[in-house]
This record gives sequence, structure tokens and C-alpha cells, in this order.
Amino acid sequence: MKALDIKDLEKRYPNGVEALRGVSVEIREGEFFGLLGPNGAGKSTLIHCTTGLAQPTGGSIEVFGNDAIDHYAEARQAVGLAPQELNIDWFLTVEETLDYHAGYFGMPRRERRERSRELLETFSLTEKKDERTRTLSGGMKRRLILARAMMHRPRLLILDEPTAGVDVELRLELWHYVQKINQEGTTILLTTHYLEEAEQLCDRIAFIAEGQIVAEGTSGELAERFDVPNLEDAYLALVGRKELSRSHIEMAPEVEA
Amino acid sequence: MTTAQIRLATLWRREVNRFMKIKKQTLGAPLLETFLYITIFGAALGSRIKHLHGIDYVLFVIPGLIMMAWAINAFTNNSSSILQQKFQGAIQDQLSSPASPAELLLAFSLGGFMRGLIVAMLTFLVSVVLVGLPVEHVLVLVPSLFLVGFFFSQLGVLIGVRAEQFDDVAFAQTFVLQPLIFLGGVFYSAALLPQPWETLTRFDPIFYMINLVRYGFVGFTEVSIPLSLLALTAATAALFLVNLRLFTKGYRLRA
Repeated sequence: MKALDIKDLEKRYPNGVEALRGVSVEIREGEFFGLLGPNGAGKSTLIHCTTGLAQPTGGSIEVFGNDAIDHYAEARQAVGLAPQELNIDWFLTVEETLDYHAGYFGMPRRERRERSRELLETFSLTEKKDERTRTLSGGMKRRLILARAMMHRPRLLILDEPTAGVDVELRLELWHYVQKINQEGTTILLTTHYLEEAEQLCDRIAFIAEGQIVAEGTSGELAERFDVPNLEDAYLALVGRKELSRSHIEMAPEVEA
Repeated sequence: MTTAQIRLATLWRREVNRFMKIKKQTLGAPLLETFLYITIFGAALGSRIKHLHGIDYVLFVIPGLIMMAWAINAFTNNSSSILQQKFQGAIQDQLSSPASPAELLLAFSLGGFMRGLIVAMLTFLVSVVLVGLPVEHVLVLVPSLFLVGFFFSQLGVLIGVRAEQFDDVAFAQTFVLQPLIFLGGVFYSAALLPQPWETLTRFDPIFYMINLVRYGFVGFTEVSIPLSLLALTAATAALFLVNLRLFTKGYRLRA
């Protein structure tokens, strides 16, 4: 079954900017899918269209067979979104943030309590559970956003640059966690600027540029497609910056003792 | 509870939780303001004016103050809450949930409605104890107050959705809402005004709301009660439908 089936998706903003120009992507159930592209390529717009935060101007989106417009409730019920922006409610505590999110998705109280306890523990937030969110550090806010996205046990988890600006410890924790839930059956769509992250985690990767999918495949297939040795060089070829390839960096001469 | 009921209850709980966490500002300040009005207009001016249309001046004023408290608190709460959430981006958590446009609108509306209700109830109870405020026509008073509360909740939602900066909300409240309320006859009777002010007052929709509430409490009115109730019901329903359309289209909520 397809977890996400996007066909000819278009998004033109009222100011005339065409953020998406006929994007088609299929993500299979249980897959770990990466979406890579430079800033402004359309990654977040695609995610916003999928989650109802933006309204497509053309094409279609289906989440587990449910149209994201006509059957938005069923489609959104299946999706968990950890957005790029730290969009946390300042008035709530950490625990309330998780509890309210699950409530928005119709989860009963007892289940909410158990689930939030579990995720607070997983993301090392238990000690902070009664603190107001605005007092949290950037890293803690990022943890909370990730925990919030997972609260209602989504079948499709969308992680929009989840490791931007986080420390190594959280990045590795997150990697372990998402790999674990992916193995348990959760489909994951990841956008990231860290190519090693995509290479390490994703089964398949798509490159998006100027609102269009320009290449798609495994990391090896993409390298082959651009006739380069690795994913990073494929990406640099895509954005027209081959000269930045690490293979062009001359090794510093060894210092003689 | 069904999932839809859990969702609506949670959305509503979030709105109440927001204003309860800053109750010095959201409940304390408006209560103080209302009591200051009662003190100044009731005790100070009331001792000189004594009666208006045969009613103690303080009793003539308090119904309008109760209506004003409910209206301003409902409006302020909803406009601020929506704008703050848009500003923080936190509203995305609700917008990306399975909640329907009607559920979202209802929850945002009921937040301000509750805040207005609490301030109005406390003002009413204190007024009963201090000055013996009567309730002459409960069957007019209750629906009138509820309609006023819901109307201004809807107005607050509308302004909050349309607003792009805090200045937009402040403008609507300071330059539109408050003048209309003050000029709608909270502190005086339109019959006492010279022309053209008496006639102009009758073009202020809030004049009719104040009269409905005043009739409910003290039995005095300068307008037709059935017609005013009908007009207020129609205006509230129309505003709700406008807001529902905005939420359905995602106007200034979804990109």
C-alpha cells in the first residue's frame, strides 16, 4: 500500500510564486524516504500541503488512500508532523503540549497519559514536564516537537529538518528512535540538509529543485545517475556546485617532525 | 466520549487554560475596571443623578456594564488568542489535526465566551450583594446575554483571523468597539440626548444589546424587545456563518 501518493502537485501562492510545479512522489508503507533539496526548493511547501497547512492549487495527495482534501480527517489522523519551526504554544507546559496534541487527535485521557509518560521518558523530558515551554532551551524544544509529532502514533511521520541545530547526542538519539519506529512499521518522510543523515537512514531519496522532483532512487542510484562517487556529490551536481566536492579539496601537506 | 467530542473538548480546554494561566490580566483587570465604573458612576455620579426613568442610577448603569464586560472580554480573548497562536505558529498543531473548520471555530469562540461569562457572573454576583441588582425578565436576560457573548466571541475570532499584527486587534478594540459601546447608552438613556445624537444612537447596534440586557435586569427599555432579539440572533448567526466560511477556506490560517 502507498503511504503517500502525490500526483502532479502544484502550489502557487497569491503573490504568484510557484512553490511546487507538478510534483509526483510515491512513498510505500513502511518506507524511510528522504526529500533533499536546497532552501526554497519546495520541501516544506510539499509537507504543508500534505498536512493541511497549505492548500494545493493543483494535483492530488493521498495518505494511505485518503484524499488529503476530501477526506482530510482520515488523512491527517495518519500523519505526525515535526515541523522545521519551533512552533510550540508558549502558554502550555511540556506535558500539556503532548496531552493537548493527542486530544486534538481524539485520543482518550488514559491513553494520552500513558503515551506522554512514555515519550517524555524517551526524549529525556520527564524532569521538564511541568515547565512552561517558553523556558526550554532550543534543543529541548526540538525534543518536544518530535515527541509531540509521535504522540498520536501516526502511521506516517514527517520530519522536516528535525536535526537542524541540535547537538550530536540528540541527533544520534533521534536516529536510533526513528530507525526503531520505522522497523516497527511507521513510514517516515525526512527532509534534511545533512546528506550523511539521509544516506544513513533513508531507503530511497528524492531530489527536489525549483518545485520539481528532479531525481529519485537509492543513494547509490542517485550517485550513478549523476555519475559521481556519492550522494553528496550527486547533490552538488544537482545544485550546480560540483566545484565544492570534497574530492577537489587538496590534502594539506604533512607537517614534518 | 467519541473522538470528535474529545477533540472539541481539548480545543476548548486549551482556550480556557490560556486565559486561566494569566488570570490577573484576563479576569482580575476587567473585574477591577468594572468595579471602578460602578464606584464612579454609581456612588459618585449616582448620588447626584439619583434616578433615571424612575430607576436608581446605579441599577440603570450596571446591566450595561455587565454586558460591556462580557462583550469586551469575549472579543479581546478570541482576537488575542488567535493572533498569538498565528504569531507563534502554534496554531499549526491544531490546523494539521483532523479537527473540522466548525470544531476549530466553535472552540475558539467558546474560549472568549467563557472568559466573558466568568467576568459577567462575578460582576452580577457582587452587584446583587452590594446594590441588590434585580432580575426582572430572566427569559429575556439569559438569551440576550448569551447572544451578546456569542456575537462578540465571533467578532473577536473574525478580527483575530484577519489581523496580521497586534496593532490590528488594538485598533478594532480601541477605535471601533469601545466607542460603539460607550456611545450605545451604557451610562445614560438615549432619550436624554439632544438631536441629532438621540437619532444617531439608534444606529448603534450595541444600543439595542444594552437595552435587551437592561430590560432583563431592571425592566426598562427604549427599544422593541422582540425585534432586538430577532436582529441580534440574525446578526450572530450571520457572523458565525462568515467565520465558518473563513475557516473552511483557511483564510489567513492556511497558506
